[in-house]
Amino acid sequence: MTEEQLRQITPDKVVDARGTACPGPLLAAKKAIGEIEKGQIMEILSSDEGTKKDVPKWAQKKGHEYLGTIEENGYFRIFLRK
Amino acid sequence: METKKMCLVLVTGSLDKLTAAGVILSGAIADDYQVDVYALIHGARAFLKDIADHPEKLRVAENVDLRDELEASLKRLNVKPWIEFFREAKQIGDVKIHVCGLAGKIWRGEKLEDFDPIVDDIVGINECITKLQEADIPVIL
Repeated sequence: MTEEQLRQITPDKVVDARGTACPGPLLAAKKAIGEIEKGQIMEILSSDEGTKKDVPKWAQKKGHEYLGTIEENGYFRIFLRK
Repeated sequence: METKKMCLVLVTGSLDKLTAAGVILSGAIADDYQVDVYALIHGARAFLKDIADHPEKLRVAENVDLRDELEASLKRLNVKPWIEFFREAKQIGDVKIHVCGLAGKIWRGEKLEDFDPIVDDIVGINECITKLQEADIPVIL
């Protein structure tokens, strides 16, 4: 998805993992994905550089769709569809 | 889909390696691995009830002179204490923590109640070897 399309998404769940280092954001995503339905969208906020690559790879392995990442000032917004 | 298995053997009881083990464990749980942790010798000591929540009672294995820097950085980065990785992993995933019977005797932790409540049982080495053989990812620290 383009950044413009990502910005138009209203996620079904937002996980704010800013301020935690690896593996905090990954575990937060793992916990939260169980709380949404198949087809719903989750947004993960992270200030951890490693998460930018880690979460998309994890999502791919677990069968979730990685929609894209927006880089904001000091943090990332990562979008997944379950 | 068949469940993947990790066997994490902790010979170490050092703060730096236990923290690394907690990070590895978290990654495995995020990936839905079934994890068996075997704590031997110093690893078992770390899980004792009067040690687990007291990192000051643990040494560091490497770069001992950098201990203060390590601890300050972990705090600054909001990294949880090593034992909390294991507690959280048990809440989220399929994790069993086993303590070696010999190690228990060495540290006067002969009964299960001598250890932190996250420890599941006290076992012999054969079970550990069997789990290492069965594991998709065997890790020894």
